[in-house]
Amino acid sequence: MRLAALVAAPVLIGVLYAVLGALGLVGLDAHGYTTEHVTRILGAGSTWRGIGWSLATATVATAAATITGGAVAIAFRGTRLGDRVARALVAVPLPMPHIVAATLSLVVLAQSGLIARLLYALGAIHSAAQMPPLILDGLGIGYMATMAWKEVPFLSVVAISVLATRGPRLEEVARTLGATPRATLWRVTVPVLWRGLAPAAIAVAIVIAGSFEGAYLLAPSNPLALPLLTYERYRTIDAARRADAYVLVLMGLMLAVIAVVALEWVRARWDAE
Amino acid sequence: MGRRVTLAALVISAVAPLMLLGLWSVGDRWFFPALIPPTFTTDSWRAMLTGQLGAAAVVSGVVALATAVLSCALAMPIGHAVARLSGWRRHMASALAFLPVAAPPIALGLGLQYTFVALDVSGTIVGVIAAHVVPATGFLAIYFSGVFTALDPRIEDEARSLGATPIQVWTRITIPIVRRHIGDALALGFLVSWAQVPLTLVIGGGIVRTLPLAVYDYLRAGETRYAATGALLLTVPPILALLAARRERVAPL
Repeated sequence: MRLAALVAAPVLIGVLYAVLGALGLVGLDAHGYTTEHVTRILGAGSTWRGIGWSLATATVATAAATITGGAVAIAFRGTRLGDRVARALVAVPLPMPHIVAATLSLVVLAQSGLIARLLYALGAIHSAAQMPPLILDGLGIGYMATMAWKEVPFLSVVAISVLATRGPRLEEVARTLGATPRATLWRVTVPVLWRGLAPAAIAVAIVIAGSFEGAYLLAPSNPLALPLLTYERYRTIDAARRADAYVLVLMGLMLAVIAVVALEWVRARWDAE
Repeated sequence: MGRRVTLAALVISAVAPLMLLGLWSVGDRWFFPALIPPTFTTDSWRAMLTGQLGAAAVVSGVVALATAVLSCALAMPIGHAVARLSGWRRHMASALAFLPVAAPPIALGLGLQYTFVALDVSGTIVGVIAAHVVPATGFLAIYFSGVFTALDPRIEDEARSLGATPIQVWTRITIPIVRRHIGDALALGFLVSWAQVPLTLVIGGGIVRTLPLAVYDYLRAGETRYAATGALLLTVPPILALLAARRERVAPL
């Protein structure tokens, strides 16, 4: 336990400094105790829009990746060559850095990117401007698609192992008891998969919500995602406002703590059964 | 039918990225709506061998190697201790170990910055390595807790009862048994650092320039060719790690 606390120590030090910084007690521009940074950030619409945007896009991208990962695991669970090839292929983007995914996304989805060029060649559009913007767009479609693509491999790999270890016996029991293949899928396979995938899905949502470079390169500037808002406040030239960033740092760390508690709670509940 | 389409999509998702990055890394004056580049150039590849991209790759490699070794050495005893806990203590310890992984890297970086400035390591390679070690140790502690949960504690108890010191138990029993997992953990630690952007940005202060940071700067400057070349190089260690992991699984024990 004490050793595990050692791993978390840097985060706790970060929290401590962020608290002191947010209250104007430490930092290059600190002028003594003040609550102005806290009230300014909590009162700013951009703060709540940024948090809302980060959480909403993380949820949508995670949901898309979880459904895709689960579907891939169900579709290719056999032992035929196609199944084995599919299981190998799905893992390929797994260890790619986020910055690589963002580069690809810019090359493929931008208004002068590969998709736009293909549509032009097919006569569907006549100029780059006719291509709907998918990068830096208000809805964050390109951002969510990129994050989902990046996370499908991880969720697929988890889903494949969940099905392999927990699926067959329960499915066999259901079929012996007279369940149709369809009923077995929806009443046994999907619930088993969901239980095994839930902790992984929470972890993925945490990663996406905290993503910096992906959001920086692909997400819109209004609303600004929470990690970008934090960095922007930190980089501001107005020294008196720089400590605003520490309030946002605290909010980001607090969200992470809530997510970690949720994750362990889900795992503890299922371990207990 | 659906299966075939999905399989085709998986092939594209696995193969197309590398091909696209490869093409973009050599395409010259390749503007909309051309489907293939009108001319080719190898200037970004020369930058890789002799210029800034190459230098950034070396810095990245050094930082990632050091991060891998340090975080592995730290995470192994921690993961071992977590694996021997049970009940709520186990969940509490896992949550603590997961915290540096879950913390948004930019928040972690800004929270740690003062400490690093005070220690006079901000803007240095040492500082960047120390910063990367934080999330990497969290990752690997979780990984090792899984590995050691599967290891029967009676083997170590037996060694102790036969008079082995704690260090002997580690060097003669525990480490040899999990030898293979240590290799995986080193690869994992390397990759966590290899992909890192925000911590390098904040703690490195723009002075320590790693490969992901170089790609990030090129993308912001609209230098897609250089960015694609750097991105392609960034995929090399991950792909090697993936191939090694596959081979290991196929090879007989």
